[in-house]
Amino acid sequence: MITAVRRFRLQLTPQRLFAALFLLVLGYLVVVPLGVMLQETFTVHPLERFQIPGAMTGDFTTAHWERTFVGPHSYAFFYRPLINTLIIALSLSLLALVIGGGLAWLVVRTNLPFKGLISNAAIIPYVMPSWTLALAWLTLFKNQRIGGQPGIFQAVTGIATPDWFAYGLFPITITLALHYFPFGFMLIGGAIRNIDAQLEESAELLGASRATILRRVVFPLVLPAIFSTFLLTFSKGLGTFGTPAFLGGPVREFVLSTSLYANLIGQRPGIGYIAAVVMIAMGVLVLYMDHRIIGARRSFVTISGKGARAGLVDLGRWRTPLAVLVLGFLFSVIAVPIGALAVDTVMLRPGIYNLQNFSLHYWIGEASLAIGLGTGEPGILRNSQLMGALGNTMRLAVVVALVCGVLGMLIGYTVVRLRGTLVSRLLDQLSFLPYLMPSIALGSIFLALFAIARGPIPSLYGTFWLLVIACTVSYLPYAVKAGVNAMMQIGPELEEAAIMSGASWFTRMRRVLFPLQKATYFSGMLLPFISVTRELSLLILLVTPANQLATTITLRYTDRGWYPYTNGMVLMLVIIVITSTIVSRRLMKTDLAKGLGG
Amino acid sequence: MPGTFRAFRPGHLVVALLVASLVAFAPAQAEDWAAVEAAAQAEGKLVVYSTTSRTVPAGAAFQELTGIEVEVVRLGEQDLIERAYQEGRAGVRNVDMIVVEDWVASRELLAATGYFVNYVPPNARERFAERYQDPLVLGFINRVFGYNTEKHDADPFTNVWELTMPQYAGRVMIRDVAITGEHQNALTEWVRRSDELEAAYTELTGEVLEMTEPNAGLEWIKRFLQNDAIIMTSDTRIAEAIGARGQENPPYGMFYVFSKHRDIPLQDLALSESRSIEPTLGYYYPIVLQLAADARNPNAAKLFMEYLTTLEGFAPWADSPGVYTPNPDQVPFEGDMPWDWWEERLWGYDLDFAAQHRGIVLDTWLRYAQR
Repeated sequence: MITAVRRFRLQLTPQRLFAALFLLVLGYLVVVPLGVMLQETFTVHPLERFQIPGAMTGDFTTAHWERTFVGPHSYAFFYRPLINTLIIALSLSLLALVIGGGLAWLVVRTNLPFKGLISNAAIIPYVMPSWTLALAWLTLFKNQRIGGQPGIFQAVTGIATPDWFAYGLFPITITLALHYFPFGFMLIGGAIRNIDAQLEESAELLGASRATILRRVVFPLVLPAIFSTFLLTFSKGLGTFGTPAFLGGPVREFVLSTSLYANLIGQRPGIGYIAAVVMIAMGVLVLYMDHRIIGARRSFVTISGKGARAGLVDLGRWRTPLAVLVLGFLFSVIAVPIGALAVDTVMLRPGIYNLQNFSLHYWIGEASLAIGLGTGEPGILRNSQLMGALGNTMRLAVVVALVCGVLGMLIGYTVVRLRGTLVSRLLDQLSFLPYLMPSIALGSIFLALFAIARGPIPSLYGTFWLLVIACTVSYLPYAVKAGVNAMMQIGPELEEAAIMSGASWFTRMRRVLFPLQKATYFSGMLLPFISVTRELSLLILLVTPANQLATTITLRYTDRGWYPYTNGMVLMLVIIVITSTIVSRRLMKTDLAKGLGG
Repeated sequence: MPGTFRAFRPGHLVVALLVASLVAFAPAQAEDWAAVEAAAQAEGKLVVYSTTSRTVPAGAAFQELTGIEVEVVRLGEQDLIERAYQEGRAGVRNVDMIVVEDWVASRELLAATGYFVNYVPPNARERFAERYQDPLVLGFINRVFGYNTEKHDADPFTNVWELTMPQYAGRVMIRDVAITGEHQNALTEWVRRSDELEAAYTELTGEVLEMTEPNAGLEWIKRFLQNDAIIMTSDTRIAEAIGARGQENPPYGMFYVFSKHRDIPLQDLALSESRSIEPTLGYYYPIVLQLAADARNPNAAKLFMEYLTTLEGFAPWADSPGVYTPNPDQVPFEGDMPWDWWEERLWGYDLDFAAQHRGIVLDTWLRYAQR
């Protein structure tokens, strides 16, 4: 008996304790919502009963599944949108990998100039809402099909863009890739940076060419990061709704998320959630492939006791042209959309671009029914409600980033230290699932879960903490991916050495593991931080008047077509996020100019 | 329990009946409005969920007038229904009243479940026609067909079937029916009044409508989409696209909110609505007011509802065409027609029929929208 207890206590390492704890918490926060969603797909809802002969609300049914997969119109309802979705998700991920990975390599491993500027600028496309790029695309390339003023390209060149170029799958893929490539830049950049230069030097000593080194040494080592990027962007491609609806509608090309939203708005959640379940299933498939393909090779340890920084590749005569190209690219994907937003906020009458029309009314004007759009609303900077909502958003973003950061680090630690066990796989997958769930469904389920006290869990309805929980669960995958990637590259011998010298677990984390991978963890916190500032559909059901957020309060302006306010709020968020990112990088000494990390 | 029976006496029955009848008829007839007003002052902050953002200024004006604090949460149609429904199910008492659209869905999920009840404040009882009292209608919204006035001196539309014909191929814009609950409701009326649609087809072409769909309404949806309709996500952008000046071949609009015409002078748009297209100029739908069944601040909510039925309370909505209070004292917005005029020429929809058939409408839409 006593030996059994002692054995148990010996086995009770921190990673096992964490594993048990996280499994319990994630079980509740992830498995229950998933179960609820699945159950909904087998339930008859009030307005669905009319299309299922003899059914009553609440009955069990398989009709939704039959209709979706084998019904007479399943091609139009399901398979065609699915094909479009896969085309978008796949090509956008590849594009994001190429752009993000290429930029990361240039910044970390070459003597490209303006690295500091480039690495700060390269995350900005993700800071802006994805629709800004879609809008910018139309402003540039639209043709007369959707009316209004012609696109700038046509106005300048006189050439009408073809429909496939202006609308549909092509621009959807491009604009989404331009939005999500920062994932690749951050994750792959972190991985490249952490490659021990000794590995490359050894290869070079053995006579390998630069191409061989890239292919045989560098590529396999960053493969986990490549897969993480692929997984994150691919999943986003599956679930995104706004951009595909906006750019696809004019040529009637639809994706799976259209089906989800259409059926939710049509009050047929049973059918709608099937689309969500399919998206989740595809995400899980990629996650599974990730484990199968990468799993065995992941044992590479790139940070050992001693390491050296690699020398930079000399770009030679390509140095300047490449720098110009990169800066030009970043300028066009950042400055153009931001500029378009900004201009709209200082034009008193929308759409009329001349200097007489310039005004700061929407920024600092008094409430007036006579000026400009006659909104009767004070300008953004003197609007206490808007400012309060901005404050709430930032508070939420900071708290969520911190919570995600700590959890991601701990879960990453647990997953890697228990690698090969079922528990490790389970934890890794559980923490990723919420990322695949449509946020609109997740928000609704969290509302139901936390509206009243259930057992030991108090009612969190209307509290700030409910928002924190929802966001944390939703964005945990960023932090966990970062945590796992970081941990993978650190050999256990470092921690073992620390144990030998009597360091406690806490000391080991604080003094050894965290400092080594500060940059990666930082990326893992940055993504949740940015995402929170833009989140709407997850939180719209959970916010109460007392904790209005920038996005939820802006709705009332979007609603009435008062875009100067909407755009101004987006601009404020972008400025705040960029500033705080740069400041916090300085504080954490993870200055990217020195190569993605400190 | 037996004790209760033994204590029963006929006299008690009379008293009980009297009390019951008082309770039952009190809200309808003899509600003591002064008592409601007094009680409202003693209540806390009024919480309103609203799909229309104009409830925000209305709430602020009400607060100024009465001193009762109002908090308006602006939510999308579907979000509002989902949130109010989930809160009702969980027994959370957060909201006091709702300003809601898509009454077909909200009636099913919010009223039929008992989470919300109808309430008719004194002004509405006195001034509103009875058909606007249950559910209590804050106002009606119009959605219309529109065209560019630079290209057309006069209304180019005569018949909805024209939009399915070659001259309109790839030129008609509509907000995606898939993501617009009210469009789905409105198109059920095209199914319900299939005969009229069929007659309109014959009137236009002189031929009998040959259908592959079960009725003329769905047939129209199919032909419209097959005529390369342009699906948009925002009414504002539709209005701007139709009305922008200097276009050789401007698009046309279907079912966009008429209130966007408020921006015509502001943005110098060449935009007009059709006043002659048959058999309907578009459609209208109600914005409905409902009281939470277990509201924390029911009296404040009643007072606010009363306020919204007055011209003063409705003022934030009255600043554009296309929005109409049932209050007969309302003067139409400059250049707009009065509500009666529109009601005669626009189709609304039948609530029960819409609930039963909007699934079919959505299915037909989704089937042919995907090319």
